[in-house]
Order: sequence, then C-alpha cells, then structure tokens
Amino acid sequence: MPPILRHPGLWPTLAVLTVLCLLVAAPLATILGETLGSAAWAEVLASRLSRNLLWRPLATTLTIGVAVAAGCLLIGGFLAWLVTMTDVPFRRSIGFMATLPFMIPSFATALAWGTMFSNGRTGGAGGMLEGLGVAVPDWLAWGIVPVILVLIAHYYALAFTVISAALSSVNGDLIDAAMMTGASRRRIVTGIVLPVVTPALLAGASLAFAGAVSNFATPALLGLPVRMQTLSTRLFGMIEIGQTERGYVLAILLIAVSAVFLGLGNRLLAGRRSFATITGKGGRGRVMELGRARWPLCALALLICLVTTILPIILLAAASLAPMSSALFSDWTLHYWIGEADPAFARGLAGILHNPQLLTALGVTMGLGISVALAANAVGLVVAVTTTRWHLPLLTGAATQLSFLPLLLPGIAFGAAYIALYGAPIGSFPALYGTPLLLALALTAAMLPFAVQTGRATVAQISGEIDEAARITGAGFLRRLWSITLPLAAPGQIAGVLLIFVSVIGDLAIVVLLYTPATPVLSVLSYRYASDGFHQFANAVTLVILILSIAATLVAQLLRKRQRNAA
Amino acid sequence: MRRSLTSALALLALAAPLSAQNIDALDAAALLPLAQAEGSVTVYSFTSRIGNVEEAFEAAYPGIDMIGFDMSSTEQIARITSEAQAGLAGADVIYISDAPVVLTDLLAAGLVAPYVPARLESVLDERFRSPLLAQRLSTKVLMYNEESYPDGAPVDNLWDLTTEAWTGRVIMVDPLQRGDYLDLMTEIVLQSDAMAAAYEAAFGSPITLDEGVANAGEQFIANLFANDLVLVGSTDDVNAAIGALGQDAAPIGFTSYSDRRDNEDEGWALQVANDVVPANGIVFPALLAVNPKAQNPAAARLAIDFLMGDDSDTGGAGFAPFYVAGDWATRSDIAPHPDAIPLEAFNGWIIDAETTATIRAEVADLILTLQ
Repeated sequence: MPPILRHPGLWPTLAVLTVLCLLVAAPLATILGETLGSAAWAEVLASRLSRNLLWRPLATTLTIGVAVAAGCLLIGGFLAWLVTMTDVPFRRSIGFMATLPFMIPSFATALAWGTMFSNGRTGGAGGMLEGLGVAVPDWLAWGIVPVILVLIAHYYALAFTVISAALSSVNGDLIDAAMMTGASRRRIVTGIVLPVVTPALLAGASLAFAGAVSNFATPALLGLPVRMQTLSTRLFGMIEIGQTERGYVLAILLIAVSAVFLGLGNRLLAGRRSFATITGKGGRGRVMELGRARWPLCALALLICLVTTILPIILLAAASLAPMSSALFSDWTLHYWIGEADPAFARGLAGILHNPQLLTALGVTMGLGISVALAANAVGLVVAVTTTRWHLPLLTGAATQLSFLPLLLPGIAFGAAYIALYGAPIGSFPALYGTPLLLALALTAAMLPFAVQTGRATVAQISGEIDEAARITGAGFLRRLWSITLPLAAPGQIAGVLLIFVSVIGDLAIVVLLYTPATPVLSVLSYRYASDGFHQFANAVTLVILILSIAATLVAQLLRKRQRNAA
Repeated sequence: MRRSLTSALALLALAAPLSAQNIDALDAAALLPLAQAEGSVTVYSFTSRIGNVEEAFEAAYPGIDMIGFDMSSTEQIARITSEAQAGLAGADVIYISDAPVVLTDLLAAGLVAPYVPARLESVLDERFRSPLLAQRLSTKVLMYNEESYPDGAPVDNLWDLTTEAWTGRVIMVDPLQRGDYLDLMTEIVLQSDAMAAAYEAAFGSPITLDEGVANAGEQFIANLFANDLVLVGSTDDVNAAIGALGQDAAPIGFTSYSDRRDNEDEGWALQVANDVVPANGIVFPALLAVNPKAQNPAAARLAIDFLMGDDSDTGGAGFAPFYVAGDWATRSDIAPHPDAIPLEAFNGWIIDAETTATIRAEVADLILTLQ
C-alpha cells in the first residue's frame, strides 16, 4: 500500500475536497465549460475591445484592491491594537463601533458619500457640501478616490474583527516574560505581538483585497459618472446586456488574477508555521499604558468610528423620512414606514410595513442568515482544521485554493454560475431553482472564505501539543475537533458566525439572480424600491437590515462575554 | 386527498377541450369562470405600476388573485430563461420592454407566446398586434430643464450635444447596463442618413468620418463620448440631474418622456425637447405576452385583456395607471392624453425591434471601445 493511502489525513481531506467541489468547483466548471472554444476569449484578450473590456478595468480593479487592503490594515490594525492591547478610554464602545461599518451595506455608504460630496457633474444641487458653498472637485466626488475611501470605510471592520480576535488571544505570559527580562515596549510589539498576529494581518488584508476587488455597488455608483469601470462593473454590464460569455470570461480572468494575489498571501502564511502560542492556559493579555497619547488616540479612534458608522446611519435614516432627496432634513414624514396607500403621495405606494412581502422577506432573510452562517462556519472550521493539520501533496493545496475561490467571484457571476449548474434538473436530481436551498447553497459557498479564514487564523494558533496528546490517548478526529479545537476556537467562531450572518442579510449581488417570488429577501426588496426611484422606501428597508445586523452584533457580544465569564 | 383529486379532475375536464387556440378565441366573459377556477395569475412586470393594476383587477374580478412582480426587462429575460430550464412555470403573463431581446431570445425560443384579445383586432395596427401584442409606447428621448431654459429647449440638433457648449453636460444611463439606451444608440446608427443630413444642417458642411468609423451614426456616438458624456446608473438619476429645480445651467440628457409626470412630487422641471433634428430619441413598445406553459392560462388571458383597457375613452381602470402624459396607448380608440404631445407630432423614431436586433451587439462593441 503506498504511504499516502495510510496517511491519517487522507479521508478527512478527501471528504472536505468533495464538499468543496460540489459547492465551488462544479459551478465554476460550468461557466468555464460554457466559454470553452467561445469567440469571447479572443474578444476579451486580444481585439480592439480588449483595452476597455479588460486591461483598463483590470488596472483600476487592482489599484483599488491594493489601496483598500493597505488602508484597512492601517485603520483596522490601529483600532484593534488600541482596543485589545492598550488602556485607551471607551475601549468597549470603540470595539463595538469598529465592527459596525461592515453591517452597513456598501451601497448605503456609497450613497451617503454622494449625499455629502456629489457635485454638479450629475446636475442638481449637488451634495450637502456644495449646498454649504464648498466647491467639490470631480476627483473627490467621483471615481477611484471616493471608491477607495468608501470601501476602506466598509471593509476595515473585517480587518479589525480578524486582527482583534488574534490580538486578544496573544498569550499574556509571553509579554510578562518579555517585560520581566527588560524588553522595551517597542521590542514587545515587534518581537512578540506582530509575529503572532501576522496570520491575522494577512487574513485581514486578503479579505479586504478580495472584497474590494469584487465589490460591485460602490464603483457602479461612484465610478460611472466619470466612466470608471472595474472588472465587476464591466462583468455586470456584459451579463445585463446578454453578453453572458464575455461576462464569464471576465469572471474567469478576475478569479485568475485574484488567485495569484491571494495565493501569495497564503504562501506567506504557510511559510511561517511557528506561531502556536495558545496552549489553553496562560493569562490574558496585559494592558499597555498609553500615557499622554491616551486621549488624542481615543479621539482619533472615535472620529474614525463616527464617520464610518453613525454618519451614514443618520443620512440613511434622514433619507427614509424626507420626501425630497434635495432637502434631507426638512418635511419629515413616517409615510414611507407606516403610511397607508395614498394616490397623491409617492405614486400611491403604501409604507413598507404595509407591504405583505416584507414579512415573508424578513422570515426568509433571517432563515438564510442563520442557516448559512452556521453551515458555512461548520464547513469552514473543518476545512481549516483539515488543511492546517495535514499536508498532503496536491490535495491540501487544492482544498485551500477551492475554499478561497468564492472570494474572487463577483456575486453576480456566482449567481449566474449557480443557475447554470443547479438551475436545471441533473439526472433524477430535481432543479433547485425556486427553492431556498439554492440561495442557501450559493451563499454558503460564497461565505466559505470568510469562515475558513476565521477558522485558520484561530486554529493556526492552537498548539498541536494538546491535539497530539489527545491523539496519543486514542481520541478520533471528530472527537478531537469537538472537544479541543471547537472550544478553543469558539471566540473566533462567534465572530465568524456574526460576520457571515451580516454579510448574508446584506448581500444583494448573489441573491439578485437566484431569488424567486417564492423566496423574497430584504436586500432585493430594497433594491427593487431603489431601482424604481422609491429611495425613501429603499432606505427604510436598508435600515431594517441594519437593525437586524446590530441586534445580531449585540447577541454575539453577549455570548462572548458569557463565554469569557465562564472561562 | 380525494377532494383535491376531484377538483383537479373537474378542472381538467373543464380545460381539456380548450386547446391554446380555442382559449385564445374566448372573450372576457367566457374566460372569467375558467380563470376563477384557476384562482390566481402571476404577472412579471417591468414597471411598478403593476401594483395599481393588481388592485383594480381584483376589484373587477373577485376571486382571482393577481400576483404582480416588478422586475426590469433584463432581469425578466434572465429569469424566464432560467425558469424554463428548471421546468418551473413562473409567470403566467409577461409585461416587458426590451423588444429586440424579447423577440430574438424569448419569442424565437418559444419561451413566450403571443396573445391578442379578439375584441381588439380592429383597433390595433398590425405592427402592434404582431409578433407580440404592444400595450403602449414608451420613450427614451432628449429632455431638458424648463426652469433653467424657460425659452424652450437649448438645443435644436442632436449634433449640438457634441459641441463645446455641452462638454461634460450631457447625461444618460450607461448603454452597456440598460437595454433601452443601447436601443437608442442602435437607432442612431440605423438612422445614419438622417444623422448625416442633420450634421450638415448644424455645421454647414458634409460630415467627414474618422478612420474606422463606418457611418454618421457611429461618428455621432464617438463624438458624444469624446465630449465627456456623463453616464449614470438609472433613469431616475438622469431625471434628478437634469430636472432638479434651482439650476442656472442645468445639464441635458436622455430619459423617459413620461417621467415628467413626477415633476411635482420630486421637485423636477423636466420637459421634452421635441423640436430637434433629426429626432429627439426613440419610441418603443411595452409588450404583453403569455407563458406557453402557463399554470393559469385562462387567468393569464383575462389579465392581458384587462391590461389593454375597456372601451371607454381613457381605457378605464385596467389602463388607468398607464394613461399618463408621455405614454401612448396603442389602441386607436383610446384618446391621446390631453397634456401630452400626440404621437403623430412627436419627434422620436419608432424602433423596429427586429432591425434593431440585427446590429445591436455591434453597437454595443463600438460603445465599449469608446468608454
């Protein structure tokens, strides 16, 4: 028997690979198959169209990705350090508020940007600033600068979540030891803290990069007036006008490019495997004293949080109450929330709470959010454990790459791929189209990278010694997973479940092609209102999503606190 | 179980002798009991006004639940294709624009089928009866801000939009994201002769084409994009940009004539530029079709019959949501809206969907190279 067949990790790895193939590889293979031998390849890669179809959007996309990743590391890392390692005032509030931006759908933040900064280029009275007599130049109102800033404001929360989870698990004993032996504060940061959180830093940067690269709503809203295109807006446009094959080719190229970048990140992570520091014992981190910098840093952190959370929420709320978007703070009415249908107002549309679909959508959205969050996290943790514990040639690499692939897939392409594969009956297996299962599967697959990344960041720090000890005393793989890995990974996992829950309930791109009248979701409802010009109703529904997200965040906070108390 | 079986059999017995052709010949009175037995009808609609139709329909025909879904034409096309693949019945009635794609992708593939209520044969032009029934005509035309330009439209020739006076001040929806706007660009290419004549009228000399440009229409599109054309995501963004009150020199752009009806609600001053050579844009049909595999075939036909309006001057309750200035009924017996320019006097090109479909993809490619 060749040694590989006796490898203890063979069967878990194969099982993981099978699941990943069904969820990720098969839909991708379908779109690959549909473009095979198509003229679209030549048109995209080498024709008079290539420059505008591929190269320029590609350059823009990569610039945005790199800039957003860097910005998110800087801001997310700074806030995470402040909250977990220092004696800055209002740590709890900062920590809570720093996770909020991710709960606000990026299109809401982009709209809020427009409310502030838009200028005469799209006519009208411009935004609030122009209203106050400040001339806003085009580069600040539209294009790559605002897109990068809005995306940083959205995704830094991801970096913060991942980095602060890692920082809060830095072993206090190590720092104590360093302090006792007289190491300087700076030496502790560069010598202990940074190396330990490097996986989390890379994870945060990768997540932000991938998110920024495939984000659709923000570049579509803020880039279009200066005709800036990214690969995902290009791709959306192609699918919109029925040139699906070109769209698929673009999707495949986008995946390839991002795979190279994220692959680099993985390689860095894989090359440094000596971070195991959590041993299940050891004290919690020690607080670093900031001294005179305490209050200025606190003010800076609060400012960042306010501008990226409270401000967009205020603008959203005002916009759900104001009849005219040009006068956001006057003539407020609750009609858009609770009004009865009135032919003379808002084209006879009743408030959202009178929309019979709202309740159904609320149920479907919650159901999807919870089930997808749990399913994706379960799969993600198993993938993380399997791929960090064992390194089988080819198989482990394939599983890792597959689990990250969905990140690179623009949601709209993902939806299209799922319809292409699971939309029609496969043999005696009925079509999933029109069932919530199709939505749940696609969303689970799309959220896997988040789940795997949270899993890995935590698992990579769990010492192999305990696991080893358990294995020697005869505990099986599942047993060890359940009684060692899971409890140790739990704090990270709660963060992960929350992250996925809010991503699912705020997702539009994936569900917009997959939902059916029988399975309405809130984000689509909001999008419908918005696309018909009923912005107030759209904002109201977006606020409902926001309230759900905040409630989920509070529940997660509570759970974490109880867990900490129990420990 | 037995009861549901019996009622299913009864329904089958009722419906069995009715082949598609037979059912097409029934009038509303004959359709009603069949539709009531079916109990409901699902409509995919490209306009939110389906909500108003729903109420009126259920008031007129109690016992039949109309379930309206408002989704863009592009999305409907994707959805109907997916549903056919999955073997789902989906919608009974399809109410859609984007005729060039509907005819080539849906009708030709047998995913939608024509239905024209027999009572309307005499009041509908042949072009509105086939290949699919057209309920009304809608527009994508040049509009301006009448508060900003009280003396009328600031341009009288499409070529004006390519001059320095309008650099960075012409607004429209990205034609690569919305089919209607691609149809508009396509029509301009199809009307190249008229565009060439208009060029001469504007600048006094015959048009010279750039290298690689095939005709006057393409040249116009190239010049328009080169003149820092502003693209936005939806018609409402165009409306807000050009229509908002309080602008000294508002931009100009292409949008729907009928959106003028929202001027008061939204604080706009939209007005159509009708005196423009060679034309101010396109006029295109809103189509009604049935699903050939509809679950509720009788209710589907009854709904279409209702949407086409009754025999009163304004089309009655079924047509009321569409009896607005800027939409023209296809029925010759419905009086033109008093506040709108009548179709005969309107300066837009009426598109021919089949011709548009032949070069639409080429025009899309041209625009792609310009963006």
